[in-house]
Amino acid sequence: MKSEFAKVIDAGQKLGAEYVEIRAQKLFRTVITTKDSRVEVVRRGIENGAAIRVLFKGVWGFASTGTLEQKQLLDSITEACKMAKASSLQVKEPVKLADIKAVEAKVVLKPKKDPSKVPIGEKIDLVLAEDKTIFDFDKSVKSCTINYLDISGTNYFANSDKSYIEQDKLYLYLVTAVWAREADKMALASDGIGFTTGFEIFQTETPEIVGRRVAKRCVDQLKAKIPKGGTYPAVLGPQIIGIFAHEAFGHLAEADLTMAGSVLIDKLGKKVGAEVVTIIDDGTMEGAIGSYKYDDEGVPAQKTVLIKNGEIVGLMHNRETAQKYGTKPTGNARAEDFRYEPIIRQRNTYLTKGDHSFEELLEGIKFGYYIKNYRGGQANLDGTFQVGVQEAYEIVNGEVGAPVRNVSFSGNTLETLHSVDAVGKDFELNVGVCGKGQAAFVGAGGPHTRVKEVLIGGKA
Amino acid sequence: MAKLKPEELANFGEKAVKAAMKNGANEAEAFLSETLTTIVGIERNQISKNIRKNDQGLGIRAVYNKAIGFSYTNVLNDKSIEETAIDAFRSAKASKPDKNWSGFAASKKYGATKDTFDKKLIDISSDGLVDIASVMLAEAADYDKRVFVAEGEVQTQLSSRTVVNSCGVEGFDEGTSIECGLATVAREGQEVTPVCMEFNAERVYKIDPKWVGKEAAKQAISSLKARKVGIESFPVIFNQTAFSELLYFTFINAVKADQVQRKQSALEGKIGKKVASELVTIYDDGLMANGLNTWKFDGEGVPCQKTPIIEKGTLRHYLYDGYAAKKDGVESTGNALRRGIAPYMSTPIIEATNFVITPGNKSADELIDDVDNGIIVYSLQGAHSSNPSTGEFSVVGTPAWKIEKGEIAYAIKGAMVAGTIFDVLNNVSALGNNVRKVNQIVAPWITVENVRIIGK
Repeated sequence: MKSEFAKVIDAGQKLGAEYVEIRAQKLFRTVITTKDSRVEVVRRGIENGAAIRVLFKGVWGFASTGTLEQKQLLDSITEACKMAKASSLQVKEPVKLADIKAVEAKVVLKPKKDPSKVPIGEKIDLVLAEDKTIFDFDKSVKSCTINYLDISGTNYFANSDKSYIEQDKLYLYLVTAVWAREADKMALASDGIGFTTGFEIFQTETPEIVGRRVAKRCVDQLKAKIPKGGTYPAVLGPQIIGIFAHEAFGHLAEADLTMAGSVLIDKLGKKVGAEVVTIIDDGTMEGAIGSYKYDDEGVPAQKTVLIKNGEIVGLMHNRETAQKYGTKPTGNARAEDFRYEPIIRQRNTYLTKGDHSFEELLEGIKFGYYIKNYRGGQANLDGTFQVGVQEAYEIVNGEVGAPVRNVSFSGNTLETLHSVDAVGKDFELNVGVCGKGQAAFVGAGGPHTRVKEVLIGGKA
Repeated sequence: MAKLKPEELANFGEKAVKAAMKNGANEAEAFLSETLTTIVGIERNQISKNIRKNDQGLGIRAVYNKAIGFSYTNVLNDKSIEETAIDAFRSAKASKPDKNWSGFAASKKYGATKDTFDKKLIDISSDGLVDIASVMLAEAADYDKRVFVAEGEVQTQLSSRTVVNSCGVEGFDEGTSIECGLATVAREGQEVTPVCMEFNAERVYKIDPKWVGKEAAKQAISSLKARKVGIESFPVIFNQTAFSELLYFTFINAVKADQVQRKQSALEGKIGKKVASELVTIYDDGLMANGLNTWKFDGEGVPCQKTPIIEKGTLRHYLYDGYAAKKDGVESTGNALRRGIAPYMSTPIIEATNFVITPGNKSADELIDDVDNGIIVYSLQGAHSSNPSTGEFSVVGTPAWKIEKGEIAYAIKGAMVAGTIFDVLNNVSALGNNVRKVNQIVAPWITVENVRIIGK
């Protein structure tokens, strides 16, 4: 690919582009869907394609095409330059990129069990074994959908700064949804696990373990009551503190969104949370779903501290925002695939460990909520966040009590960061798919954490 | 533009079906899509990027002994298509039979669609899109200095779909669309408003970027000086965006036949029963003129149609694809969707097309006039975290405003809106006449009584 790419980059520079970048992919994907013990479909596909991005008089031009043929790539670069030219007359602040060191690298993955070589039948058996565990768990289980996904192959990258990177990609992702029903009560629980390791991971994360976990969560909800609405103290589990770190805080610290007017716009170097709060976005955690060696601008992934002891010490950058802030890019530029341009995305985002046991966190709470597992979450640039919850319990006199359902909680990110008053000594990282106009696998987590107050949206 | 002719696409489809059958499939179905997207992107008050995406490909479902395999490729040549067909067949052979499988769609005549294709949208140049973006930006900037455009875009799309199966189905349809939108915030001192979004989306070249720019700015400015409310039940006016978010993650799931059959829906056994206020009438209309989701046929080649869902509060019908329809002994309603930016990569799922809520006769101002003490909500944060099974939701209304004595009084912040979709539908008390298309929904503003608000 290297010499073909060089010709395209050369053509772009001759057309007047100040920066040219090509990404290409040869990826192979398998998806298996089962619904209620029935294999609905086995889907497989090859996705080849290329994305060309140019900076032309301070404006981005981007063209994607589902082919790797040289002629198409040359057409695409002409197209990208032509389009950028169309708006370059309007630009007030031309885009500039922070300098980076040129990288020449080949990242080869050697999983013990390469998913692209595992027979389809073995993958189907894995999914059906999980399905069976779920239906066997309890007779109130009425329905179950499981989606298994693996992606493998290679991404190629070259730019006019003389970087050339070949990087193997490998993702495993297993998502389960379970529905239970008893008389007129209905419940739904879901679970997602994901890895950047080989298929051998399912020997430890067995279908039985995964199936039982999600089935139990679903069936337990049948006994749950609707909570009181209002402001209460809460202990947030690792899943919840993860989605808080990612959704409520993380997005505000993506430099493109910070500059777009997030509440953090003038907070760099300032205290935004309690002393016990340290939040990190880390692209280097071995095997974690949000990890990689190089981002889609050819910048090495790194461990980026966002909040240290309550103070904002960093943001997540691509080359463009790093230049604006006069800092170094953090390796957060990611593109879903060749159809999209790289944008600032989180990797594995988490709150660091403290020193409290779970029991110590519960101590002293007369009435509050233990919020354990989420259904989804969303934040706004003004710092308003919402997290919909699928598993939560009352805390009564320092002990975990009855389960509650249809709970969701919300608050203001900065107020909540200040309201953190104790951090646990455990740690768990979980998996999610983040949507910011394009999808990205991300990790999120942390320890059990206590907050003085959150707003619970209930009924009573 | 590297656009393939309808005959070429049909030819590829036929070749794929033939290759699968020749290799031993009992049945086969090919779906091809081609999408050309042009985007002018806005970031931080200026046009910052120009994007062109070209995507085409073929997906084939092959059936062997009632087991289904699917394979796709974005390399369209004879060799690749043959390999893809064989791969789909191999997947089917490796999979397990589905005893309920009863075949692909049979050939039927397709109805006519109107205003789904506009040649002007193909001819419009990058310069033309830059002009539209500039108009939106200028309007927003002129409205008030405190407005900041976080992002925005103008997008045109030309897409086509082709379906061919071994039961005689052969269809081709193409369509255009245009969308322009802005996301704004307003800043004053330490206060930042939530993001306010406004947009126009049409199938033909009939957008009003001036209105979009001005309206997005106006919403941001009027979101300043937000206050908190207490815990109380209020009448709430939902605009189309807020209502579409609520409906999409709750009620629309509950009327999907597969979810009903699989005991995931609270609407199981409710056909012919009252599930909403008498004021509520909803159709799913896959053939609606200028509808954002209007096509001649669905993802299985079944003709799209108009299906009554709720008539005057009574549940009439569920949404079906071919598989669920055969299970219930009814006809498919043409609701099998191939989802996503590259539809050829996906297998069909049941989805609403244009979910049309019949409007009332009140103007937007009259709806507000009628509320003595209530709230108006323009968007819901966290609607995707609703429980699609029970219809329960607990979300943040943002941006939202307090209505007092028939007037918009002030912006409110951090107010949660909680309840179940079935209570919401039963408590609809008025519908406006201001119909708009937002995602799957075609609806007016809707007033709902007695909605629980948790403010602090």
